[in-house]
Amino acid sequence: MTESRGPQAEKAPQAEKAPQAENAPSPGNAPEAEKAPPADEHARVEAQARKPVARPGPLARLGEARHLGLLAALALLVVVGLVTRPENFATASNLVSILSLAATIGVITVGMTFVIIGGGIDLSVGSIMALASVWATTLATQSYGPFVMIVCAVLVGAGAGLVNGLLISYGRMVPFIATLAMFVAARGLAERMSDRKTQLVQQDNQMIVELSTTRVLGLPLLVFVFALVVAAGWVLLNRTTFGRRTYAVGGNPEAARLAGIDVRRHTVLLYALSGLCCGIAAVLIMARTTTGSSTHGQLYELDAIAAVIIGGTLLAGGRGTIMGSILGLLIFTLITNLFILNGLNTSDQLIAKGLIIVVAVLLQRRGLESRT
Amino acid sequence: MTPVLELRGIDKSFGPVQVLHDVALTVRAGEVTALVGDNGAGKSTLVKCVGGIHPIDSGEYLFEGKPVHVHSPREAAALGIEIVYQDLALCDNLDIVQNMFLGRENKRGLVLDEDTMEEMAARTLASLSVKTVKSIRQHVSSLSGGQRQTVAIAKAVLWNSKVVILDEPTAALGVAQTAQVLELVRRLADQGLAVVLISHNMNDVFAVSDRIAALYLGRMAAQVKTSDVTHSQVVELITSGRSGDLGLTNGVPA
Repeated sequence: MTESRGPQAEKAPQAEKAPQAENAPSPGNAPEAEKAPPADEHARVEAQARKPVARPGPLARLGEARHLGLLAALALLVVVGLVTRPENFATASNLVSILSLAATIGVITVGMTFVIIGGGIDLSVGSIMALASVWATTLATQSYGPFVMIVCAVLVGAGAGLVNGLLISYGRMVPFIATLAMFVAARGLAERMSDRKTQLVQQDNQMIVELSTTRVLGLPLLVFVFALVVAAGWVLLNRTTFGRRTYAVGGNPEAARLAGIDVRRHTVLLYALSGLCCGIAAVLIMARTTTGSSTHGQLYELDAIAAVIIGGTLLAGGRGTIMGSILGLLIFTLITNLFILNGLNTSDQLIAKGLIIVVAVLLQRRGLESRT
Repeated sequence: MTPVLELRGIDKSFGPVQVLHDVALTVRAGEVTALVGDNGAGKSTLVKCVGGIHPIDSGEYLFEGKPVHVHSPREAAALGIEIVYQDLALCDNLDIVQNMFLGRENKRGLVLDEDTMEEMAARTLASLSVKTVKSIRQHVSSLSGGQRQTVAIAKAVLWNSKVVILDEPTAALGVAQTAQVLELVRRLADQGLAVVLISHNMNDVFAVSDRIAALYLGRMAAQVKTSDVTHSQVVELITSGRSGDLGLTNGVPA
């Protein structure tokens, strides 16, 4: 029975031109046709409904394997490094410097990924990190020892993020504007607190600096902190209700609200999480530079946003992955490293980074269009 | 048998505009009640009052014979009232299972329990005899209009709900998909649920409904058995509020 329906389904467009002909194959139950559709019509409907889904284009499959593209780009950069600077590139010290550089922005990128998937943007990350590093290295805070310094940095970061979230959710401000205000104000406050002076981490609190000097398996501890944050972020995004609801809030806030999700509260939490990541990043930069300064983290927000976008996260929200963002960041860091190793102009480096953002977004758009 | 849902004397105003006047509505289990009315008659407002999105100004709201107060969509859902909105309220970027459990995810400890959710979703879709969906892990954006409607309805019945309200489920669908959705609506009622179907389409109304409730300018013009009336009588009720002995006399129920 269903097999004989096969060719009928192929002729569906003809059938739609003549709606009266639709019940023709079953003239016996014509009077009942109004009450309930006949069974064989159901089969035909199913065959028709199944049709458009059954052909995923090759480009769509390419989009699915987006991480593969990022990995290929990363591998290509490694090859370039090996060819141009064989004696410097593949050394342990170079690897450590790449990862240490990536760790600070990487932690921020994790928080940024959440915010952007949730449909927002956070321009204030670099400033918040600077403020947290200054606050944690004031003489008053340092007198309480390294643990209080770490807690202070994390709390200042989360607090500033919370303010962002409250302004956006309950103050009904556009994320761009609210975090722009924080971007300016947090750095101003950091300058105020430090008198624009660089604050050294004191001898008693060397434990913080040891995060970058102590090595386990050849890697500084701060790289493990970075890995831990990435792992925690991945679990939070992919395995918890918080992550699931982040996608929902970014994809369709109205549907999320009707499903009983408190969208405002969720948005506040997203920005607080981003701020928290900035606080952790502040600890890492204190470890790397042994200082807290209001000049830390300039342009970090742009690097973090660029890494997230290259990693395949939709700036409009609702789609993205932690791993993509981290790969995007590693690509950026590797390019910086290659330019430095080869003694090339930093201006050319900026041009190259700009091109990469454009190419990445164009490739993603093709992947998206072929899917819808 | 006590009706599952009964409204008496519902009034609702938005500022100076009174949208609902003394509306009564009775919804019984195992039946499809069609809620009809012209644009602006108050159908959507009435449904939003039932769903807890708008608080009612005055009147009685009885659920299974007991008076209740519903102040939020969550409270309505807790009673067993689910609404399938016209725009379906699905997240395109999530898959079918994720959408069906959105806001009410199953957890094992702190993490999501994907296995249980997948199993429950598959069982619910199977109980509705839905076979058109290729994989329940498909993104909703890849589904056809009828399939999306099916997912939205499955989401509503997943929670052992007692009343399912469908706001114009066939408005954006083609002929074949409309038939598919109407069949599903009938099946829900046959399984013992109380179904409220909002529709503009008389063919749909007469195809599946047991009773018809007609709203006219914010008043309930008539609640009748579908078998007792004709197409033209219902159209008259919608457009003028009365038809012969049925309906309003001088703006008041007969």
